Amino acid sequence: MTISIEASNGVCHARVTGEMTIYHAAEMKGELLPCLDSSTEVEIDLSEVSEIDTAGFQLLLLAKREAVSAGKLLRLVAHSPATLEVLDLLNMAAYFGDPVMMPRASRQM
Amino acid sequence: MELDQALQTFIVESRELLEAMEESLLGLESSPDDHDAINAIFRAAHTIKGSGGLFGLDGIVAFTHVVENVLDRVRSGEVPINGDLIALLLSCRDYIGMLVDQIAADSAAQPDKETEATGIMLLNQLRTYQAGEKKQSPISATAQSQPRMAVVPPPDGTVESDHWHISLRFGHDVLRNGMDPLAFIRYLDNMGKIIHVVTLPDAMPLAPDMDPESCYLGFEIDFHGDGVDKTTIEGVFEFVRDDCTLRILPPHSRIEEYTRLINELPEDKIHLGELLVNSGSLTRKELDEALHLQQILRAEYSQEAAPKLGDILVEQRVVQPELVDAALGKQKLAKENKAQESKLIRIQADKLDQLINLVGEMVIAGAATSLLAQRTCDPALHEATSTLSRLVEEIRDSALQLRMVQIGETFNRFNRVVRDVSKDLGKDIGLSICGAETELDKSVVEKIGDPLMHLVRNSMDHGIEKAEVRRQRGKPAKGTVHLNAYHESGSIVVEVGDDGGGLNREKIFAKALEKGLITASQNLSDVEVYGLIFEAWFSTAEQVTNLSGRGVGMDVVRRNIEALRGTVEIDSREGIGTTVKIRLPLTLAIIDGFLMGVGSASYVVPLDMVMECIELDEAERRESRESNYINLRGTVLPFIRLRDHFRERSKVSRRENIVVVQYAGQKAGLVVDELMGEFQTVIKPLGKLFGNLKGISGSTILGSGEVALILDVPALIQRAASRDAQLLACSQAEQIVA
Amino acid sequence: MAKTVMIVDDSASLRQVVGIALRGAGYEVIEGCDGKDALSKLNGQKVHLVISDVNMPNMDGITFVKNLKQIPAYKFTPVIMLTTESQEGKKQEGQAAGARAWVVKPFQPAQMLAAVSKLVMP
Repeated sequence: MTISIEASNGVCHARVTGEMTIYHAAEMKGELLPCLDSSTEVEIDLSEVSEIDTAGFQLLLLAKREAVSAGKLLRLVAHSPATLEVLDLLNMAAYFGDPVMMPRASRQM
Repeated sequence: MELDQALQTFIVESRELLEAMEESLLGLESSPDDHDAINAIFRAAHTIKGSGGLFGLDGIVAFTHVVENVLDRVRSGEVPINGDLIALLLSCRDYIGMLVDQIAADSAAQPDKETEATGIMLLNQLRTYQAGEKKQSPISATAQSQPRMAVVPPPDGTVESDHWHISLRFGHDVLRNGMDPLAFIRYLDNMGKIIHVVTLPDAMPLAPDMDPESCYLGFEIDFHGDGVDKTTIEGVFEFVRDDCTLRILPPHSRIEEYTRLINELPEDKIHLGELLVNSGSLTRKELDEALHLQQILRAEYSQEAAPKLGDILVEQRVVQPELVDAALGKQKLAKENKAQESKLIRIQADKLDQLINLVGEMVIAGAATSLLAQRTCDPALHEATSTLSRLVEEIRDSALQLRMVQIGETFNRFNRVVRDVSKDLGKDIGLSICGAETELDKSVVEKIGDPLMHLVRNSMDHGIEKAEVRRQRGKPAKGTVHLNAYHESGSIVVEVGDDGGGLNREKIFAKALEKGLITASQNLSDVEVYGLIFEAWFSTAEQVTNLSGRGVGMDVVRRNIEALRGTVEIDSREGIGTTVKIRLPLTLAIIDGFLMGVGSASYVVPLDMVMECIELDEAERRESRESNYINLRGTVLPFIRLRDHFRERSKVSRRENIVVVQYAGQKAGLVVDELMGEFQTVIKPLGKLFGNLKGISGSTILGSGEVALILDVPALIQRAASRDAQLLACSQAEQIVA
Repeated sequence: MAKTVMIVDDSASLRQVVGIALRGAGYEVIEGCDGKDALSKLNGQKVHLVISDVNMPNMDGITFVKNLKQIPAYKFTPVIMLTTESQEGKKQEGQAAGARAWVVKPFQPAQMLAAVSKLVMP
C-alpha cells in the first residue's frame, strides 16, 4: 500500500494504491489524518484500491467523522470496485455523501 | 478424474496409517504406557476418519469415530490399556483395513452382510469402553456452544416485520485475530438477502485514541432468508462468537424482545429506536410501545450486565501447565521419528534395478578402459582412468546402497505373527528383536520373509514348551522368540532363536538311522546332526499341530536360502533353546571380488571372504601334493587345488599360491597359480544349464571381455572340510586296525 | 482477484479434496504437508486464509500458527484449525497461538467451503 499526497490550492489530494487492510491500518492513519490538519478540503482517490477490509473502511469513517466535526470537507472519489462493494454492502454511501456509480442493482429498501 | 485420484491417495495413505497403527498397538503390549504409541494410534484413526469423511465414506467414518472415541479415552487415561483392549483394537484395525480394501476394489461398494456383522460385533465390544459417548453425530458440523441469547419473556404482542433482526457488536480484537466482520456480512448476504444494514461507528473514539487495528463497529441488520433458522444464522458468526455480541430476533418477535435489545445495546436508546423504525424492523407504534415497556423494565435490567465478549472462554477447561509441557515433550520425540520417515522418497523397484544393471555395465566397461590404458604409456590417461574407476566404484556403492533396506520392517511383521500364533497355541510367547537397523539388499529381504515365517512358527510350535513344562524346568513361564541380524564378513546373518526345549540329538540321530540316511558308526558333530532336520523327509514332532510338523518344510527353508546363495545352520542345546542361523550375501548384484588365475582360466571369490594369501614354497608344494591339508601356523588347513577341482589341463605353473578363505567360521585354502588382485565383480547368473554345478555360484565378465567364474566359497569349504574329515576318519580307522 | 488459501495437513488425500473444493469455488490454493513445509512455502506471498491441522509430523499446527503469526505479513491472517470434538485442550492452545476458527474432522468438502467463505469470499 502506498499513499501519495499532493496539496494544491488548499486542497489535499490523497491517492491510495494497493490494499487498504489491517496490515497497513496504522500507516494509513498516520498519513491520512494529518491531511485534515493541514487542509480544509481533502479528496481521497480510491481508484487504485485493490482490496479493503473493515480496518480500512473504519479509517475512512474516522476521517469523515473528524472532517465533519472540524467543519472541513472530505470527499471520496473515483471509487474502485473493491471500495464500492463495501460501501454498498454496509449501506454507507449516503453517510459519505459522495456521488458514486453503483455497479450492481441498488437494494430493495 | 481428480477426485478418483484423491481417493487413491486416501487408500494408500490409510493403508500406511493402519500399518503404523498395528505396529504401535503391538508395541503397547510390551510398554502400555508408551504415550507416543497411543498418540500414533489415535492419529491414525483420527486421520482416516477425517479424510474418509471428505469422500463421504460414511461406513469408515462411523466406525473409526467410535474407535477414535475409545482411543481418546485411552489417551486421557480414562480407559486403561490392557491385552483385551489391544486385541479388540487390532481387530478394529483389521476391520478398517477390510473396509478400505473394499473401497479400493469398488469405491461405491457397500459392505456385505458378513462384513457388516463383524462391524456390529466390534462396535458392541467397543461400547463397553465408550461410556458417556456424546450424542453427537460424527459428521455433524461445528457449531457447539451457542452465542448468548436473550431470555424469552412471557408471550405478548408481536411485531409485524417478517425479517430476522441481527444485532452485531464486534469486540476490539476481532481484526487483530484475523477476522473481518465484512466477510461474515458478505456470507450472510450470500445465504439470503440483507434487506437493510446500518453501520454504527458510535463506539469509535476520537482520532488520537483510535487504534486503527481495533474494531469499533456495530451493525444492525435486517435479513431475509428462506428456510433459514436461528442456528444457521448463529453458524455464520461461529468463528467470532468470542469476539462479538450477537443478538438475533426472529421474524415476528415480540415487542419486548426489541425493548430488551434496545436496552442491552450500548448506543443511545432513542437513536436506536429510530434506527429500528428506519430499517423497517419496527413500526412507529411498536417503537413507542417498546420505549414505554423499557421504562418499566429498566430497573430490572440495569443491574444485569450485558453479555460480555468472550464469555465462552470461561467455560473452557483449564489444563494444568505441567501436563501440557510433558505432553509437548513427548510429542516432540514422536515428531523427530516422523521427521526421519518423511525424508524418504518412493521409487519404483524396477527403476532401481535398471540403474544397478547400468552401473554393472559401466563397471565392466570401466575395467576394459583401464586395461587398454595400461597398455599405453600415457601417464595422463592412466591418471584419468584411475580417477574414473574410483568414481565408478563410488557410484556402484551408492547405487547398491539405494537398494539396501533395513531388516527391521520385516522383523516387525512378526510381532503380529507371534502374538496371534501364541494365542492360537495357548502359549505365552514374546518376541525380542535385535539388529533391526541391519541393512540388506531389498531383493534379499523380499525373499527371506517366508523362510523366517516358517522358522518362527516352528520355534513357537515345537521349540517353546508348554508353560507347565517350562516351570518344571525352572524357566520363566513366558517363552521368547528372538530375531537378530548382524553383518559378518560380507554376509548378513539372520538368527531365529527360541528359549525352548532345544533339539533332541538322540531322537534326530535315531530317526536318521531309521530312514537309513546315516549309519550307526558314523561320527557326526552336533551341528551335522541338527543339520539333518533340513532334509526333506524329516519330522520329529510327536504331535503334529495345525501349524507345521517340525521338519516339514525345513527343507523348503533350506532350498530358499540356498537359492539366495546363503546357508543355514542350526545350533541347539537341549533344555535351553535353539538358534537357526541364516547367512546371506549382502547383495545379489555386484561384489568386490578377488581375482585369481589357474592356467588360462580366471576365478573370483568375494573379497570379504579372503583372509590371506600365501605363496607355497617348493617343500610345501611337494607336501601339498600328497595330503589335502597344510600346516598353517600350527593349525590344520584343508585346501582344494582348483587345478584339480576344475580339471585344468594346462601346464603346471612354476609358482603356486594358497588363498585362505573363510565362511561361517570355517576356513579352507584354495590353491591357485596366480593372484590377480581385487576386481569389481558384476555377478551374472549362470544359465540353467550350469545351475547345478557344484562350487560355482556365477560368472562375471573381465575388462578383457573374457569370462571368469565366481566360486561358491561355502560349498568349496564344505567340500574341503568333509573330505578332510573323511580322511581323518580313515586314518583313525587305520590306526585302530593297526 | 482470486483469494489465496493455504491448506496444511499431513493427509495428502485431504489436501487434494479440499484443494478441489476450494479451487472449484474460485480460490487459489497452496498446500503444505506439515507446519515446517507450510512455512517454507509461504515466501511472503499474500495468503488470505490458512487452514491447518493440529496433529502433524515435523511441526504441529499449534507451533505452526505461532510461527506464522510472528511473521509480519501473516500477523492478521485468519486461521481455521482442524480438530476433533475431543481436542478441547488443543483448542485453547490454538487460541493462544492465534487461531479463532475451528472445523471438526471429519467434514464434507461443502462444510469446509462454507467455513472458508465465512472468513474470505472468493
